[in-house]
Amino acid sequence: MAFAGNLRKIIRGKKSLKTVEHIEVKSKIENWFFIIPLGMIFVCWEIVLKLNLISTETIPAPSEILEVLFVNLLTNPGFTISVLRSLANIGVGIFVAALIAIPFAIFTGLKSRVDASFTPLIMIVGALPDIALLPFLVYWFGRGASAAILMATIVAFFPIFFTVREGVKNIPKDYFHVAYIYKARKIDVYTKLILPAVFPQLVTGIRLAYEFLWEIVLAIEIIARIHGIGFIINFAVENGSLTYAFAGFFMIGIIAILLDRLVFHRLEESVRRWHE
Amino acid sequence: MTISRCLEVEKVVKHYSHNGRHVPALDEVTFHVHRKEFICIIGPSGCGKSTLLKIIAGLDKPTSGEVRFQGETVKEPHPKISMVFQSFALFPWRTVLQNIEFGLEMRGVPKAERRRIALELVELVGLKGYENAYPRELSGGMKQRVGIARALAVDPEIVLMDEAFSAIDEFTAQVLRSEVLELWEETEKTFILVTHNLTEALEMADRIIVLSTRPAKVKHEYHVSLKRPRNRSDSKFLKCQKELFNILKSELEHTIVRHKLKAIHEHFKIEDMESFQR
Repeated sequence: MAFAGNLRKIIRGKKSLKTVEHIEVKSKIENWFFIIPLGMIFVCWEIVLKLNLISTETIPAPSEILEVLFVNLLTNPGFTISVLRSLANIGVGIFVAALIAIPFAIFTGLKSRVDASFTPLIMIVGALPDIALLPFLVYWFGRGASAAILMATIVAFFPIFFTVREGVKNIPKDYFHVAYIYKARKIDVYTKLILPAVFPQLVTGIRLAYEFLWEIVLAIEIIARIHGIGFIINFAVENGSLTYAFAGFFMIGIIAILLDRLVFHRLEESVRRWHE
Repeated sequence: MTISRCLEVEKVVKHYSHNGRHVPALDEVTFHVHRKEFICIIGPSGCGKSTLLKIIAGLDKPTSGEVRFQGETVKEPHPKISMVFQSFALFPWRTVLQNIEFGLEMRGVPKAERRRIALELVELVGLKGYENAYPRELSGGMKQRVGIARALAVDPEIVLMDEAFSAIDEFTAQVLRSEVLELWEETEKTFILVTHNLTEALEMADRIIVLSTRPAKVKHEYHVSLKRPRNRSDSKFLKCQKELFNILKSELEHTIVRHKLKAIHEHFKIEDMESFQR
C-alpha cells in the first residue's frame, strides 16, 4: 500500500515536473509572439506605399528604412557611438539614481519621522515637470554628457525612491522579529532581509525609470542638441532625410524590445518564482 | 528548587503610550516555568498575551519587573529562546531549506553543517520532497512546519509559540498540534504557547496561565492533570473544559461590564475614568 502510494507520488512528481518545463518553454516562445502583428503592420505599411496611397516623400517604406539602418547606419561608427551615448546616458542615470535612491528609500521607509519630514517634499519636487530643469543644467554644465546624465539621474530618482520606500514600508514586522530573535547583525538585516524583500519593488522602480528615461534622454538630445540618437533623428529630419530619421527611430525600437525581453522580463520572471 | 525553574516572569509591567495617552497592557504579571514543561498562556483577545510573549523573547522591554532565563535577566533575544509566529514569518525569497537555515546562518554555522541540520529537520517535520520549494508554493500547515523547523534548528531551550495554530485550517491544525506534542516529548524542550483557543490549551498544556482583561494580570494557574494523549471527547476533558471556560467567562463578562461603564462615563462626559473608579 505504502509502496503504491510512493510510486504514485513519484510518477505524479515527474509528470508535474514535465508540465512545468513545458509551460516554461511555451512561455519563452510566447515572449516573441509580438513579432507576428509587428510584421503584419510592416507588410501593410509597405503595401500602402507600393500602391502609392501615400507618397514616399511623406513616409519612407519600411524596407528602405531597414536597408538604411543595417547597410548605411550600423556600419557607420559615428552612428553606433551616438546610440551608445544615449544608452550610456540612460544606464549611468539609472545607476547613479539607484545608488542614491535605494539607501535613502530604505532610511525613510524604516524611520517614520524621517519619512514624515522628507517624503512630502520629495513628492512635491517629483510632481514638478523635471524637464524644466534642463535649461539650467545646460547653463551650468554646458551641452554635454554631464548635463544629460544629471537630468537622467534626477528623472530616474523618483520612481526608484518611491517604489523601494513602499517596499520597505510593506515588510511585515514579524520578518524583523525573526531577524532579531536569531540575533542578526545590522549588516545582515540589510543584506539578508531588507534588500531581498524590496527586490521586486526595485525591479519595478528601475523599469519605470528606464521607460521615463527613453523619453527624457531623447528630449534632452533633441532640445538641448546633446549628442546621441535623438540628436541624429532631429538632424536627419531637419536636413530632409526622413529615411535616416526613421532608421534611428527603428534602432530605438529594436534596443527597447531587446532590453525588455532579455533584461527586464528575465528579472521579473526571477522574482515571480517566489513573490506572492 | 530554582534549578528546575527555567524561566521566571517577575512582576512584569508594560505601559504603552498611544497618541499621548498612557495605556497599561500588563500589570505585575508573575509566573514561573519549569524545564520541559508545556505552558499555555490564555486570555481574552487583546489582553496583552502577545506583548508578554514578546517581552519573554527579548523583543520588547518591560516598563518594570523582569524576565529571568536560567537566573539571568532577559534584556535582548537569548540564543536559547526561539519563536514560532502566527503569521509564519517565512522569508518568501528563501526556499524551505534556506528558511530553516536562517537562524544557524546568523550564528555563523558553516554551510555544510547547517545544511545537514536543516535536512534532518525537514524530515522531522515531514516536509521531505519540499526542500527547494518557496513558501508561496506551500499550504498554511506546511508553512508553519517550516516555521517550527526554523525555531528548532538553533537547538533552543524554550520554544515560544505565538498563536501558532490560529492561521491554519482546523483540520490541519489538529494534526500539527499532535505532532508538536510528539516533538515536545522527543526533544524535551520547554514550550510556551500563547492562544485564545481554550480546547487547544487543554489539549496541549501541563499548566495554563489564565490572564485577565487589559491590563493583564495572572488570574489563575490551571494545572491540567489529564493523562496524555488527551481525547477531546473524553468526559474528564469536557469537565476541565467547563471549569476553564467558567474562569474565562467571568473575565469576559468583566470586559462587557467595563465597556458599558465606559459608555456611561462618556455619556456623562467624565474625563478621567480612572479617578472615578477609585
